[in-house]
Amino acid sequence: MTRQLPPFGEGVRDPNRSLSNHACWAGQGSVTLNLKKPEARRLALDLVATCDVVIENFGPGVMNELELGYDALRRVRPDLVMFSMPAAGLTGPMKDIRTYGLSLTSTTGLDSLVGYLGGPPIPVENAFSDPLNGIFGAFAILTALHHRAATGQGQHIDYSQQEAVMQLVGPAFLDWELNRREGGPLGNRHPRAMAAPHGVFPCSGDDRWISIACSSDAEWKALAAAMGSPAWSAAAGLGSIAGRLAHLDAIHEHVAAWTQGQDVNALAATLQAAGVAAAPVLSVADLLHDPHLTARGTFVEVTHPLGFRETIYGAYVKMSVSQPAVRTGPMIGQDNERVFREILGLSDERYQALVDAQIIF
Amino acid sequence: MSRGALAGIRVIELGEGVSAAFCAKLFADYGALVVKVEPPGRGDVTRTWGPFPGDVPHPEKSGTYFFLNTSKKSVALDLEVGADLARVRELIAGADVLIENLPVSELERYGLDPASVAALNPALVMISITPFGHTGPYAGWRGHDLNAYHLSGASHRYCGRPGEAPLEHGTFAADFFGAMTAAAWGLAAVLGRERVGSGQHLDVSSAEAIAAAFVGGQNIGGYAQDGKWERRTGVGMPLGAPATILPCADGHVWMLALEPGQWNGLVEVMGDPEWAQLDMFQDMFQRAQNSDVIYPFIEEWLADKSKFDVMARCQAAGVPVTAVFLVGEAAEQEHLKERGYLVTLDHPDLGRVRTLGAPFKLPASPGGPSRGAPRLGEHTAEVPASGSEGRRQGVPPVRRRFRRSAPRACRSRASASPTSAGCGRARWWARRWVSSAPRSSRSSRGRGST
Repeated sequence: MTRQLPPFGEGVRDPNRSLSNHACWAGQGSVTLNLKKPEARRLALDLVATCDVVIENFGPGVMNELELGYDALRRVRPDLVMFSMPAAGLTGPMKDIRTYGLSLTSTTGLDSLVGYLGGPPIPVENAFSDPLNGIFGAFAILTALHHRAATGQGQHIDYSQQEAVMQLVGPAFLDWELNRREGGPLGNRHPRAMAAPHGVFPCSGDDRWISIACSSDAEWKALAAAMGSPAWSAAAGLGSIAGRLAHLDAIHEHVAAWTQGQDVNALAATLQAAGVAAAPVLSVADLLHDPHLTARGTFVEVTHPLGFRETIYGAYVKMSVSQPAVRTGPMIGQDNERVFREILGLSDERYQALVDAQIIF
Repeated sequence: MSRGALAGIRVIELGEGVSAAFCAKLFADYGALVVKVEPPGRGDVTRTWGPFPGDVPHPEKSGTYFFLNTSKKSVALDLEVGADLARVRELIAGADVLIENLPVSELERYGLDPASVAALNPALVMISITPFGHTGPYAGWRGHDLNAYHLSGASHRYCGRPGEAPLEHGTFAADFFGAMTAAAWGLAAVLGRERVGSGQHLDVSSAEAIAAAFVGGQNIGGYAQDGKWERRTGVGMPLGAPATILPCADGHVWMLALEPGQWNGLVEVMGDPEWAQLDMFQDMFQRAQNSDVIYPFIEEWLADKSKFDVMARCQAAGVPVTAVFLVGEAAEQEHLKERGYLVTLDHPDLGRVRTLGAPFKLPASPGGPSRGAPRLGEHTAEVPASGSEGRRQGVPPVRRRFRRSAPRACRSRASASPTSAGCGRARWWARRWVSSAPRSSRSSRGRGST
């Protein structure tokens, strides 16, 4: 489905040219099988027999309907690690819940915490849970592979995206447990009220902001000094975090009046030099030009097999020994011949017959 | 009792706050032996964060600390004190993984920068989680979760109303994202040690991880090619409708009905109102273009409805509408209880505490919190004084394993000073907490004692 999403490489609408998702598939292979046909399912089983891990994100029961459930796969690969990641897990009264990635978070309590102070919940406009669950799912699979290395035993991982994302609510959950208190939107305030000031403040230009967080009295003193020690900052009580929290709205207004009109990058550098945790709030366009992300090679340009150049994210974790080489995402079915003829050993005739019958297509 | 999937992995945790602690908790809850090093007297800063029962501060009763530190051991050692630092270095010398979130300048001051740590233990996987990372012009910057999240582009693009401040995600979103990312890549490095022939250092910037995987993934290709980019709208999905959070009688619902079947289902649940037949509402794009008309209609219908009732009726009609659960409502949902997601643990100061359980289920090697968070320094006495464990006891098993397969990486062992690279810590780890020791260590210990 995501192959149909614009924008497309060189503006040509083509399922091999969707720019929006290639980064997620970087380095992967692709085969095409029509799983509605029994012969395709047999090929899938033959392929699974050569694999360590199967990853799927259908709703609960769909793999069983395809006759590719864990029991079927385990018969051909006894130590298989199978990873299923439905929205709310494989069992339980809500297992068949329908959500989108961006609304799944509403069932964890997380969405109830996003918004301006005292206001209604504001929707996060893309599925934060999608990349989070993809990456964290890799951790789940690796734990099972570690267990397999020690015992020889595979298993079927029941990964509920809801339960994984709900971990982010941990501190607020404990407030419910210990005090029966419901959290709510806090704007950019510290979730545990342990830093002040703590927010984003306007700078010069269109929609430019700087984040400033003072988690210690020393940081606050440094900020006050950087602002030129205005009279209001010397008011009694502001030297302690409790005092600053008591006057947080007024402090934030003062800081905003000071940041307004200043250049965000110069201000961040000035505040950092003074010992204040401050950083620019980046836009999408900034991501590609920010000197820090540029220096770290966060985004890289690669050449797609169709010849166009595209920019995707690179290895966003830097490994000192085994840094991965990032390649473009696969064309549909680009690995059919390698997989079905070389790995599974189909003869030329048999392979061609399967292609002609649209089993491999 | 079944051992956790990560039994046998020995982890040292250094630092403060959310990111390193949560990453190490993930290892601990799945069976790794995790030793958390805290400053004596005050402990991890999250011990002061609460929530505390009845809002009475107590260093052993912080809910945030409790959540982040289940299944771990706590040793109170002061990195500013030479003898304590030496003990930490010995722990590191015998560990498989070091998870830390200290500023680079502090690592260097303690002689715990990646190069020094690699010399101390070439087989170690060192995982550094910081807001900005160890390299690049912001590497030396001070930063907290707030700064990292807003540097990622996530807020400017996806969260907040136009013209108003971009918003954080309502929790320590960058710290958590960075921690989960670090756990995944870090465990891969642990499993890959035999293959690459050594341990290695992982430099995780939580801002960069979100900038790449969340924001960049779906925005940067189009921007790089066409120069077009977008920013937050305050609406859930501005191109299709309905796709936003709307108020109802007792809270809010995530109102989503995009595909034709979903829209038809919603219309049916709403009782087939006349307005829904208007031409301007016949596909999701048209509905979005007329959102100023359609959202008031839907809000009017929702005004006297309960969010869970709306959710149940919509879900039954195949419409992906959900209630916006408050934290307590999320905590008490029957679904999670039936799945056994919530676990209750004993704690000497907090009593019985219910917390979030395993984030994923491994039937063959169950995970999840096995013990409440440790008291400050509860396990300090189990750590021997520096140098007290025998240099006579031979080469630590982890390094033995790598000697043959990793000539290049292990050559640096020769350059480590005899005192810092003294022997026996891995043996000490294995003997001291043998219940968590891996098979390989046990057999190595047998060999090592000859």
